[in-house]
Amino acid sequence: MPSQSGSVYGLTLLCPIIDDNDAIPSHDLQIRYHLSTLSLGPDGPFATAPGTHLARLVVLDDVVYVGVPSCEEHLNSKYLVFESNCDGDRDTYLTGLARNIPDQLDAIWQHCIGYPGTKDLSAFLNYMKKCQLETTFFFAPVNDKSVTQTLSALQTQRAVAAFIATHQSCSAAYLQKDFKVFIDRCAHAPVPRPAGQSFHRQLKTGGRNE
Amino acid sequence: MSKLNASDIQGFAIRGYNMPYARYCFLRFTGAEGARALLAKLLPLVTTGQLWDKKPQTTLNLAFTFRGFVALELPLATLISFPVEFQLGMKSRAGILGDTGENAPEHWESPWQEGEVHVWLAINAMNPEDLEAEFQTVQSLLESTGGALLLGVQDASALPKDGKFTTQEHFGYTDGFGNPDYLGVCRKTQPGQGKLSADGKTWVPLATGELLLGYADEAGELPVAPVPHLLAANGTFMVYRKLRQRVGTFRAFLNHWAARYGEGDSFAKEKLASKFVGRWRDGTPVELSPDRMDQSIVQDPNRSTNFQYAKDDLAGTKCPLGAHIRRANPRDAFGFEGRLIHRRRISRRGLPYGPPAPPEDTSEGQDTEALDATDRGIAFMALNASLARQFEFVQQQWISYGNDARLGNEKDLLMAHHEPGERYGIPGDGSPANPPLFCTALPNFVKLCGGDYFFIPSITALGMLAMNLVDPR
Repeated sequence: MPSQSGSVYGLTLLCPIIDDNDAIPSHDLQIRYHLSTLSLGPDGPFATAPGTHLARLVVLDDVVYVGVPSCEEHLNSKYLVFESNCDGDRDTYLTGLARNIPDQLDAIWQHCIGYPGTKDLSAFLNYMKKCQLETTFFFAPVNDKSVTQTLSALQTQRAVAAFIATHQSCSAAYLQKDFKVFIDRCAHAPVPRPAGQSFHRQLKTGGRNE
Repeated sequence: MSKLNASDIQGFAIRGYNMPYARYCFLRFTGAEGARALLAKLLPLVTTGQLWDKKPQTTLNLAFTFRGFVALELPLATLISFPVEFQLGMKSRAGILGDTGENAPEHWESPWQEGEVHVWLAINAMNPEDLEAEFQTVQSLLESTGGALLLGVQDASALPKDGKFTTQEHFGYTDGFGNPDYLGVCRKTQPGQGKLSADGKTWVPLATGELLLGYADEAGELPVAPVPHLLAANGTFMVYRKLRQRVGTFRAFLNHWAARYGEGDSFAKEKLASKFVGRWRDGTPVELSPDRMDQSIVQDPNRSTNFQYAKDDLAGTKCPLGAHIRRANPRDAFGFEGRLIHRRRISRRGLPYGPPAPPEDTSEGQDTEALDATDRGIAFMALNASLARQFEFVQQQWISYGNDARLGNEKDLLMAHHEPGERYGIPGDGSPANPPLFCTALPNFVKLCGGDYFFIPSITALGMLAMNLVDPR
C-alpha cells in the first residue's frame, strides 16, 4: 500500500510557498531562517510531538538544470517539502502535531499559500491532505516498530552490552542473581526521550549546524 | 588499457620498494628561484617506476604540500584548481578526521606544529651507509642551491627478527598485505587485492584513476585534478601521518583481556590479538584460518589476501565486524559484490620508526611505562587519487565510526581515538573455542604526532616545476 510500510506511515507534503515581491525578506527565506533556528535535540518540535521516526523539512526553490541531455524545466512555485516517517495513520499523526506543537507548525507553514492554521483542526487536516504526495521510499533504519518500541529497544541493547561487559566470566549463580535484577530494571525503565543522543560524537562533517 | 608510462611516474607512487631503511626529510623552500634550482639538481636523482634490471641501493622521491606549491609561485589559476582538502592541509581537516583530544594539531610535534613543511623528500635504502651517503648528497644540494631548509627528518626501518628484516610493526603484527591492484600499474595481480567482479568471485584490478590522476576512475570519470593536465597526470595525493604506538599499553591491554578470554593461556592471547586486527600476528587471515596460525596461507599469494566476508561470516564470528582489516577494506561485507567500496580504497606505504621493543616474554618487555615512554611507531603514508573521497572517508566513516559496519558508534580498536565508555566487541559462535568478549576501558594505543597532505607529481611535472613551466592557460 502506498505511504504505508508495515506499521510505519510515510507522509510527504509539497506546500507552495507564498510568492510576494513586497515581502522582505521573502517568505522562502523566512522559512529557511526559521528552520535554521530549530533544535535538533530532545526539545525540537518533532521530538516533542509524538510518533515521529524521522522528519525532514526542505525549501525547494526550483529544479536545477544539470546540462545535456536533460532539458531545462522549472517549478511553478517554490515549495516547502515535508517528509516524515511516523507511527499510526496520517490524520492521527497530523492531529498529534497540531495539538502538541501548533505554534511551531504555524510559524513554518504561515508562509505557505492557503495555510489555514492549526486552530481549525479539520481545515488544517484538509489542507495537509491536499498537499500530500504518495510516499514510496522509506528511511531505511525505520523498521516495523513504533518510536517508543525503537527507543526502548535501543536502550535495552545498550544496557545489555554494558551488562555483558561488566559480568564477563562471573560465576553462574552470581550472573543469574544479577541478571534477574537487571531484567526487572530494564522492564521498568522509562522510555527515553526521542532525539536524546546516547553518545557524543566528536567527528565533524563540515556542516553549519556543528 | 594501454600500459602506463612507468618512467614518467615516481616509483614510490606505484610500488613499495621493499627496502629496510628510510629517511623522510621535511623541507621548507626559502624562495621560488632557489627552490627551482634545487629541484633541477634533485631531478636526476628521483626514482621512477621503471622496472629495475638490478635493484638500486637507494631511491629518492619528492612530494609537495599546497604551501610548497604556493612557495614555488605556481600561477594562481593552477593553485586554486587543486582539490580543496589538499589546499587546506591535514591540520585544517582535524575535525572531520577525528584528530581530536591528544591527537589534535595543537599537540603535534615540530615541524608539523608550525605547518611550514613544503616538501617531503624520501630516501629508501638497502643499508644505513648508502642511506647516509644519499642524505649527504641531498644536504650538499640544499647548501649549494640555498633552495630549502631542512626542518626535520624522520628515520624509519623495518624491524629485525632473528637477524632478518620483517614486515612486522611494533605491536607484533605482520603488516603490508593488502595494497590494491590497479589496471596497468601492477605486473601481476593477486586475488583479493583488486575488486570483486559482478560474479562475486573473480578479483580484477581497480581502475587506474583510483590511484593516478589523468586516468578514468571507477566511475569512468577523471579524478578531480589541478590544471594544467600535464602537472596532474601520473601524479597522486599522499597523506603522511606519524603514528606513535604505545607498545606498553597494547601489551598490558592484550594480557589483561587474554586472561579473560578462552583458556586464558598464550594461545588465547594470540587468538585475541588476531580478533583485534583480522589477522593473526604472523599474518594469517582469521577469515581463512580462524583457529590457528598457518604460514602456508601467509606465504601463498593466491590465498593470503583471497577471502570474503558476506558468504558465511556476516555476523563476524570469524573476523569481527570491527577488526581493523575488515573496517579498512570491507570487501563484500556491505553486499552488492563489494561495489560500495571500490571508490574508497587506498594504497599504503610506510615503515616502523624507533627502536624495536624488547621481547614480550622479558620483564623489560612488560614494563608498560618504560615501553610507552619510548618514541616508536609507524611513519604511515597512504596514496590515492582523492584525499577526500578515499583516505578521509575511510578514516572518518570506517576507522572513527561504526555505522557502515553495523556497529553504531564503535571505532577501530587500535587506530582510533577513544572516549570513555567505548567498547570493542568480539562475536562468538557458541563454541568454547570461539567465545564472545567485550573489551572495555579502551586506551588510546596510537597517538598522532603530526603529518600533512602531499602531492607526488610525475617526472614530467617535476621538470615543469623546476623549469617554471607550469602554465594553466
